[in-house]
Amino acid sequence: MRDIAIEVNDLSIHYRGLQSYSIKQHLLRFRPNKTEVFEAVKHISFQVEKGQIIGLVGKNGSGKSTLLNAIAGIFAPDTGSIDLRGNTVSLLSIGVGFQRELSGRENIRLSGMLLGFSEEEIKAKTPEIIKFAGLGQFIDMPVRTYSSGMHSKLAFSITAILETDIILVDEVLSVGDVKFKKKSYQKMKELISDDERTVVIVSHTPSTLLELCDRIIWLHDGEIKMEGPAEEVMDAYLEYME
Amino acid sequence: MVKRFIKDVKKYYRYIFVSAKAELKAEVANSYLNWLWWILEPFCMMLIYTFIFGYVFNAREDYFPAFIFLGLAMWNFFSHTLTNSVKIVKNNKAVVSKVYIPKYVLILKKMCVNGFKMALSMLIVAGLMIVYRVPLSWNILYVIPLMLIQILFVFGFCTFFLHFGVFVEDLSNVVNIGLRLGLYLTGIMYSIESRVKGMAGYLLARLNPMAFFISSMRNAVLYGGTPSWKWMLAWTLFSLILIYIGVRLIYKNENSYVKVI
Repeated sequence: MRDIAIEVNDLSIHYRGLQSYSIKQHLLRFRPNKTEVFEAVKHISFQVEKGQIIGLVGKNGSGKSTLLNAIAGIFAPDTGSIDLRGNTVSLLSIGVGFQRELSGRENIRLSGMLLGFSEEEIKAKTPEIIKFAGLGQFIDMPVRTYSSGMHSKLAFSITAILETDIILVDEVLSVGDVKFKKKSYQKMKELISDDERTVVIVSHTPSTLLELCDRIIWLHDGEIKMEGPAEEVMDAYLEYME
Repeated sequence: MVKRFIKDVKKYYRYIFVSAKAELKAEVANSYLNWLWWILEPFCMMLIYTFIFGYVFNAREDYFPAFIFLGLAMWNFFSHTLTNSVKIVKNNKAVVSKVYIPKYVLILKKMCVNGFKMALSMLIVAGLMIVYRVPLSWNILYVIPLMLIQILFVFGFCTFFLHFGVFVEDLSNVVNIGLRLGLYLTGIMYSIESRVKGMAGYLLARLNPMAFFISSMRNAVLYGGTPSWKWMLAWTLFSLILIYIGVRLIYKNENSYVKVI
């Protein structure tokens, strides 16, 4: 058996009591407001081996994105733990976080630094990113002037070219125009075929998942309903959704 | 926790500088008079205050414009960083919801941006001092420790506002009122010690850290006085404790911030 890259143990994440409140509201209301607990992910445990490609399926609101965010270190687990064994991780999703006032080039530099790359590495890869994103002269314009397609193209290029050990993909395979879609799909496949790279994909497109993934985890209302080889789980899932 | 803090600061300090520089550059690129505004704005404020308080209210201090400018520069550093901190997580939603970053790094970045503007204002103070032929003394070296303590204090203070700003939506209204009160209590346009008589003046100038920093700084730079070591030490310790508690608070809660915004 190969090394484990992601180990998730008894993970739960809830959204509770964390709504923001205002002082005004607090002063005007006498009884404390009841907080509803919403468990987005309920006691999930699984492991991903290094180099594996995992698909996550489930209907909307079943906790897929929450799980991805938790693996990326953005959400704190309420119980349980996530162990990445020291691998670098990046989250690829629609509309990656850019600072709107800064130019595309500067955003590449800053995003790269936040992903844990040294400035030399980023400098070396910047031309490749710019070329792949294909934004032309827009690369030196503030990101706020970008169209949403350009936005996602740049976001995809940064994460795809600056290769982290673990890549988390949240419905990103449908980015940009037809040409870029093809190119990014190709790049995605290339990245994924690397034996060292671990990938977790969230998608609603069965064909993509079947083609790319080794294994699929089906999440239902925050719990793992089924886990196994891609075809098996996909068939059961599609049947259920009918 | 201290270890983790030091490790994170080491890891992110390049990011802090690069992003602060990028932000300053973006600010410049977007306005007509661009970087001139950084000087023009405090300069005009100084003219207004000098006119109103110097002539209408007759607040006479030696080298009054330099006196005001120095206080204003330091106060703006504090108040701008504070106002920024309250909304800082929300304003950086795009970044914090995509990648992990210790949230106080955002404050440090803002402090670099605001600190740079303060440094520019300080240059103008130096210019005014030349114009007014302010006699210099070795006490001007106290600028360095005073600045450092002020930076520690502002950072520690703002960590709390970063944290509560995430959960309390109208905190910024409260902060604005507090800052206005602070502006008058801190003695930006007058000297607390010569205007407020007796014990009240003594305490007002020392128990309010910003008032202490500003009046010590003016004393050292403009009037050749020595600041009180005792109070400098006290505020250093206080600031370090603030930073310790504040950073711990952020570390404990930062990964829940994203769920709220």
